[in-house]
Amino acid sequence: MHRRQFILAGLAIAGTAALGVPLWHYSVSAQPDNRALVFSAILPALLYGALPADDTAAAAALQRTEQALHDFIPYLPKRQQQELDQLINALAHRVSRLAITGYWVTVQELTINARLQMLQRWRESYLVILQQAYHGLRELLYGAFYGQPEHWQNLNYTAPRFR
Amino acid sequence: MIASNHIDASTLQEDQHFAADIVIVGTGAGGGIAAELFAKAGFNVLLMEEGAWYQREHFVMEERWAYPQLYQEGAARKTRDQSISILQGRTVGGSTTVNWTTSIRTPEPTLAYWQSEFGLNFSAEHNLTPFFELAEQRLHIQAWPVPPNPNNAKLQQGCEALGWEYSVINRNVNGCANLGYCGMGCPINAKQSMLVSTIPEAMRLGATLISRISVRRILWRQDQVIGLVAVPVDQYFQPRADIQLTISAKHYILAAGAIGSPALLLRSNVPNPSGRLGKHTYLHPTVISGAIFAEQINGHHGAPQSIYSDQFVWPKAREEIGYKLEVPPIHPVLMATKLVGMAEQHASLMQQFNQLQVTIALLRDGFHPESQGGTVHLDSAGQPVLDYPLTAYLWAGMRRALLSMAELQFAAGALQVMPINHQAQAYRSWSEAKAAIAELPLVPLQQTVVSAHVMGGCNMAASADNGVVDSEGRHFQLENLSIFDGSILPTSLGANPQLTIFGLVWRNCQRLIAQLNL
Repeated sequence: MHRRQFILAGLAIAGTAALGVPLWHYSVSAQPDNRALVFSAILPALLYGALPADDTAAAAALQRTEQALHDFIPYLPKRQQQELDQLINALAHRVSRLAITGYWVTVQELTINARLQMLQRWRESYLVILQQAYHGLRELLYGAFYGQPEHWQNLNYTAPRFR
Repeated sequence: MIASNHIDASTLQEDQHFAADIVIVGTGAGGGIAAELFAKAGFNVLLMEEGAWYQREHFVMEERWAYPQLYQEGAARKTRDQSISILQGRTVGGSTTVNWTTSIRTPEPTLAYWQSEFGLNFSAEHNLTPFFELAEQRLHIQAWPVPPNPNNAKLQQGCEALGWEYSVINRNVNGCANLGYCGMGCPINAKQSMLVSTIPEAMRLGATLISRISVRRILWRQDQVIGLVAVPVDQYFQPRADIQLTISAKHYILAAGAIGSPALLLRSNVPNPSGRLGKHTYLHPTVISGAIFAEQINGHHGAPQSIYSDQFVWPKAREEIGYKLEVPPIHPVLMATKLVGMAEQHASLMQQFNQLQVTIALLRDGFHPESQGGTVHLDSAGQPVLDYPLTAYLWAGMRRALLSMAELQFAAGALQVMPINHQAQAYRSWSEAKAAIAELPLVPLQQTVVSAHVMGGCNMAASADNGVVDSEGRHFQLENLSIFDGSILPTSLGANPQLTIFGLVWRNCQRLIAQLNL
């Protein structure tokens, strides 16, 4: 089975199981609003404990990380970009709320704890597609955050400067 | 650097044709050695590379720049089910520009296995030793004389405490300042990668380099390659469709790596009577064990690899897979993406960044019926995707490897050991770790598996029945095509591959030059 079909089938099973609704289709093309919405919902949960305590500093760190994601994603193979956007578009869509988040609300309406529980459930899911979503998003988002020198204070690390 | 014999294909405005005696697709360990030897022998050489021609002034020692610019798929390449992450270079110099400099000759038992299974004779007058010596001399490969950094020293201390074998690593460096950023491109040109050695020499002798070009198809008729069709890549290294570049040569050398070379041949529908093209791709599947020490490890500083242990590479029980123990450099993105957990748990591990020691175990795949490697497929855009099934035989080896690493890290004085598995915890004693690792669920995605060595897919063999190329890298069906890269290896090696590729390609180039000069 082609991977894209596989993703749709996986989401369809999740959706059907949770909602009793038939197959739906999510676009594989990038929708910038959806990316921003999903990243801004998941990042504060994933980075809980790593973000600065100060609200302004935390907001700046999140902004930097979202920009880093925006800069990095075009380097992924087109196939992977499409899969990522399909996941993001599904997450951002209200119809998917129970299937994907496990709650009758969209991801950005969840508390930090509920967002972490959602990610945890993906990790433990019997659906490979949700496990892949957990691992894929986790690597992408942590990579984007810890790639920024401004976020290395907690690590007590600075890269050597040469020039 | 601006050189008259460098063309950045992304700047080309219209279709163009290039011609040469020898065209080489790929500039890594294989393509780099071939470029210099053919240029020295007086051939008109054209070198092509999908990545960019970055040089030391670009190498800023930051992962956020290095991964998207120097690695395949932004260093986020994964197998089809996403269970194995693959680090592979994509820049002028290929993986030699970003590897950790470890240089090990092909292990004798590996060569013996190739002889028995593939009829390949590398003994007596066919010995590769003279070619390893040539490569070692050319690339300044020597035992690393500086004491290991603490990350490597812990591997050594663990081995000493347990009476396990270990060796000091030979490195291809000249004037190394022990910085620790080899994986992001050497900022002082100390690493003797193809980027600073054979490629500039080939260009000085007249070779032309085309960077940011992706070869899409080999045109062939009967037993001859008649040309290549290529396109420029865009700023994100994605193949473009607006311009077509064609290339013709007398002899074609494929050196695009063990995923890239089979992918190009598959796109071109070349004859494949053995059925082995793009199959039996090996990865040295690697598992990871983290450990927290009381003292500072600072694994980002110092030669990334200077000690290895072959204690378990060739187990007496031949039905068991062997594994080599090494360490990786410890940088923020590499660690953040591999350490398990989320939120506070992950953040607190990252806070112990400088106390973290990391050991890796590279499994020697390809020597057993249950370890037949992966298969390169093409996606709808013609881009490669590697399907690599993880078998019960491999999982059993990974469990033993996780146990060995935990035992070693505690023997070296670790306070806590964390097998990198999403169901594992931090364990405070060897007995606790031993009991827990025995029960860990080793399944795709839950168990983190990585690879930095891609081998096979166009394997060499004595007979066309079970190989894509002969023992000299010549394609069995296409007379003027050679494959000079890690894709010709019939199994994994049980050692880091660059020196094997240097030596093998050096020998194969000498033979091809003699044949073409007849």
